[in-house]
Amino acid sequence: MAASIVKLLAPWTPRFCPVRWTRYNPYYLEPDPHKEVYSIPESELSPEQKEEKELKTLRPIKAARSSETSSPFHDPVISKFVNIIMQDGNKAQAQGIMTQTLEMIKRRQVEKFHRAPMAEKETIECNPYAIFHQALENCKPIIGLVSIQRGGRNYQVPVPLTDKRRRFLAMKWMITECRDNKHRRTHMYEKLSQELLAAFNNEGNVIKRKQDLHKMAEANRAYAHYRWW
Amino acid sequence: MAMQSGYVIQDKVARLVSKQLGKPVLKPNKSLALKDEVANRKPKKGEASCVTEMALVMACWKQNDFNTKLCSNELTVFYKCIEKAQAEARDRAKQKSLSQGGRLLPKQATKLLKRYPNL
Repeated sequence: MAASIVKLLAPWTPRFCPVRWTRYNPYYLEPDPHKEVYSIPESELSPEQKEEKELKTLRPIKAARSSETSSPFHDPVISKFVNIIMQDGNKAQAQGIMTQTLEMIKRRQVEKFHRAPMAEKETIECNPYAIFHQALENCKPIIGLVSIQRGGRNYQVPVPLTDKRRRFLAMKWMITECRDNKHRRTHMYEKLSQELLAAFNNEGNVIKRKQDLHKMAEANRAYAHYRWW
Repeated sequence: MAMQSGYVIQDKVARLVSKQLGKPVLKPNKSLALKDEVANRKPKKGEASCVTEMALVMACWKQNDFNTKLCSNELTVFYKCIEKAQAEARDRAKQKSLSQGGRLLPKQATKLLKRYPNL
């Protein structure tokens, strides 16, 4: 018994000096914030899940992170977008801008819906969340550029991007476009909703920026083999 | 056999270093023993992956004026290739951290040599 506890504690020793971030003992398990996981009946669990469940009854569990939630309205993409809008840690304002943007999109689309003749009504998308996701999807670049030093010169080498990087670039471009290149006195949510609707229809400056990047990559395609990953 | 030859060499070196024959033949400025470390070398860089697929995607873009929707076939091929390459890179990194085809990495060799130094 004693031997097994020593073995568990071996990779982890408590510290007297505090360090940055938490240091959980490794036998603490990760929390699972998804509600559906707990409502699966016993008979449908796979062997691994059963094992995990048994472990969870005995071992301590880490506290869930404050950003994790089991709410059905939670959307990781939107929460990321809010965090990128946020300035000076003012999250309440960033969230306000986001909700106002979605509301504005909804209002515009509904107006368009009522103005349109009967035959076209089917084709108009009124769900702001769907519009937001599709707009971001349209803004995501596929090939990026990385500057690599070779023989004392810097080359712009086209590289495939990771999913995370693509998502980040799309969001950052959207926000900087609205913040820097539009009029200062228009509200952020107005600019964002305009830009999102434009991107949803594959128009606008963000889409142009994506195409510019693709054109640059295409112009530098001769250096594609300078990469080593 | 190996032990014997080792002793022979050591005898020879001792004779060359000593003043037995007037002037010593060898005057080493460092001790004649192997060090307890290995020079740290970087592993070889790999090659660029998915270059042909990328070229295909770019050619398609050029034809269709950078419209992404018209190149979905090329894009799916490209994405598949990237996924495969990333999985392979992950596997290789895992293998490399353990050992490199039966050979130790320089860092691991140094660690072992420090733990069991040459006497």
